[in-house]
Amino acid sequence: MGYEELFPKNDLDGWHANAAKRFASPFVDAPHDRIDVDPIILSHAAVACGYSIRDFYEKPELGIHCVGYISELYDLLPVTHWFFSLPWVTELGITLEYKETLPPVSTGPIISTPEEIEALEPISKEDLKKGWTLPQFFNIYDYVSTNIPHTLVPISYGFDICGASSELVGVEEFIMYTFTEPDLAHKLVDTYVETSINGADALSDKYGMAMLIVGSVLANNDIFADEQVKDYSADKMHYYVDQCFRKGAGPQVFYHLCGNHETSYKVFKDTLVWSPFNVLHIGYSGQQTFPVDVLKSEFQDVTTIMGSVDTKLMINPNPAKVYEMSKQSLLGGRDAKKGFILGTSCETPPYTIPGNLLAMTRAARDFGTYGTW
Amino acid sequence: MEYVFSDAVKEVLAKRGLKEDDVKAVIDYAESSKDKITDGKRFIAKKVIGDLTVYADYSVDGGKAVVNAGYAHRMKILDIVLETEDSEWTYVKTGAMIRKGHTNLTFMGATRSGPSLVEPASGESWIEEYLAASALAAAEGLFEQKRA
Repeated sequence: MGYEELFPKNDLDGWHANAAKRFASPFVDAPHDRIDVDPIILSHAAVACGYSIRDFYEKPELGIHCVGYISELYDLLPVTHWFFSLPWVTELGITLEYKETLPPVSTGPIISTPEEIEALEPISKEDLKKGWTLPQFFNIYDYVSTNIPHTLVPISYGFDICGASSELVGVEEFIMYTFTEPDLAHKLVDTYVETSINGADALSDKYGMAMLIVGSVLANNDIFADEQVKDYSADKMHYYVDQCFRKGAGPQVFYHLCGNHETSYKVFKDTLVWSPFNVLHIGYSGQQTFPVDVLKSEFQDVTTIMGSVDTKLMINPNPAKVYEMSKQSLLGGRDAKKGFILGTSCETPPYTIPGNLLAMTRAARDFGTYGTW
Repeated sequence: MEYVFSDAVKEVLAKRGLKEDDVKAVIDYAESSKDKITDGKRFIAKKVIGDLTVYADYSVDGGKAVVNAGYAHRMKILDIVLETEDSEWTYVKTGAMIRKGHTNLTFMGATRSGPSLVEPASGESWIEEYLAASALAAAEGLFEQKRA
């Protein structure tokens, strides 16, 4: 039995048709009912359908079908995604292991000497096709094309360029290199970036397009000064998107700045590539969710922005608090020039309380209905 | 002026639904007005023809215009929204340095920004071939379908 036999079909003419118009709203300047809500659902979808966190990652076709199915319950996005933060690293030599309550994690660094770093080479498109990451994405999108084609958006992930690169030597060692041997740190990041570009190239070859998701997670103000965030992350993100566009990927781009970007947010506006279809999401400023008024004033001229409800609240049995935070985010961002999406500050937790997701969409209806402000 | 189109260039133009005459018209306009940018080896010029902004990427060799590429986009160029750093290009008309930046583009009622080459003093923007032929073309398709 295939996973597709586990799920009833989505309500295509009702829910999905409406959600698709809503999803397009901020990008095509055609307001449709309310502002969209994207709590970045990953393994919560599996949990909500009765499966485990491990199932979500170990059985990607099941995982992505859960996302497509459960989005209807919560009235969220009409498109599917499946990912974790370490694409392309297995091809560079890292071993990943599945966990019961976590996404796949590295079993440990594979490089311990500067000579080994200097010898690193990006993985070619042809070799990626023989690897683990790319065939997995091909399988997922082929499954979606066959079984839930209305939700298909082929996505290629650069994801956390700095964080994924650091896994090759270990995070602490990588951070040390950025101070003591910056050329080696750049070599690590550049190798990962070029490999990721080749992955996006292969995906866009097969599907005619590839949305890009790329972020700055390890590179944040808890670890680095603004200058280092620019050098090791923002500049690399620019290069990644620019090169992917040159190879036919895009035009959709989702920029995810997770962690504390209290001052480092300033390095991104003049550095990133802004396409006609991009969304910028910044998780935190210090310990607080990133202020939506700053997000709007700084970035609304160039991108759709995504405001945040603190992910911690999503497992707190207090939907009223989620509703209030959603309300404040919506009131602050809903009139952004190039559109607004209500999100959570990072992936909503696996055991998110459904009542809290309802609180977000209720707030979006109450304070994000177009034509009411 | 004599125009040279290689077979490879002709094939790409045909795939993009562009006429050689439109590319020649862009070059004629650029050569008479100096409204073009150059990196010292080649020129990029643009001209609005009907609903398209048509571009010619060409080099001048004696009295010949050797066409390197022709491309177009349907999104209309509006104002510059961001300029970031100098490019290797110069605006022939004024001698000004061309900057890398972003420009508002409008299509089917939607206005979004995209990467561009910009000349802030004149407010002029140019879209490079790789963007017009792939990301912008895909974006135009999404706008037409009203989907993202």
